[in-house]
Amino acid sequence: MTMTEDEKQLDQLLTQARQSRPELPDTLAVRILTDAEEVRLGQKTLAGKPARSLWTRIVDGVGGWRGMGGLVAASAAGVWIGFAAPGFLPDPATYIYGQETSFVLADLDTSFLEDTE
Amino acid sequence: MQDLTSSLKDVRGATCTANTPSDDVLLAQFARGDAAAARVLTDRLGPRSFSVALRMLGSRAEAEDITQEAMMRLWKMAPDWVSGQAKVSTWLYRVTMNLCVDYLRKQKPDRLADVPEPEDGQASVAERMQDKARKDALQVALSQLPERQRQAVVLRHIEELPNPEIAGIMGISVEAVESLTARGKRSLVAILSDRRGELGYDDD
Repeated sequence: MTMTEDEKQLDQLLTQARQSRPELPDTLAVRILTDAEEVRLGQKTLAGKPARSLWTRIVDGVGGWRGMGGLVAASAAGVWIGFAAPGFLPDPATYIYGQETSFVLADLDTSFLEDTE
Repeated sequence: MQDLTSSLKDVRGATCTANTPSDDVLLAQFARGDAAAARVLTDRLGPRSFSVALRMLGSRAEAEDITQEAMMRLWKMAPDWVSGQAKVSTWLYRVTMNLCVDYLRKQKPDRLADVPEPEDGQASVAERMQDKARKDALQVALSQLPERQRQAVVLRHIEELPNPEIAGIMGISVEAVESLTARGKRSLVAILSDRRGELGYDDD
């Protein structure tokens, strides 16, 4: 038998294989569909949850309504301190604008930046 | 569960026509909660995954497990699928092949493949025995091929996919696919040639 005949024989086997492709067993189809149903129901549950509003997420982010109360109290105290500064604290405006700064960017030591490149 | 099985029977044998939704559309429908879309996709894509897994592994039970896992990944991926970026079937072939390769690499190298059961219809007992021997011979020969050659031969010559799609599935160039299929066929010819006497080819 020549090589060409061997190749023809292989083609014949492959043709038979193409003609007898297996069907999906029913038991396997049921397993697959059961998985699909679980995934589908899982996605539905997640999708069914109402979307949280931005305000709800902010309140949760600072520790719920109790945390929100603390945040409001701290903010109010800050406003009051800024409006009527106690005597033992320096006036912030004088502190910031009362002296000239001699600090310029050229004074910065940038040698460490060169090391990182 | 009975409902699932009966529904499956309803879609079995349905042919894909111009009015049938594409795999893309069905996957999007499933992601939106349509159970019927899962049944059509299972009927359409399940056999392809099972066929290549069976040819890659040679074992029906293992091929079933691989197919179930590949389809599970399809269901989970559905919400993230971007329509038009690739064919769903190509994606499923790739996942199935990767699962098969992972499985084979965990097995002992000298493991002999089981052979699939014959799917014959009206053939006589003698014909069935001879036919089975030939199918088994092809399966045993396939099992002796290196993984990549086996993948290429199964996808090209049994699944009849075009080379560019095989290249996409295997993540290689079209030229590499052509090389693998050519080498795979040469190897199969050599393996089968050694067994020719056992298969009764001369009776044809």
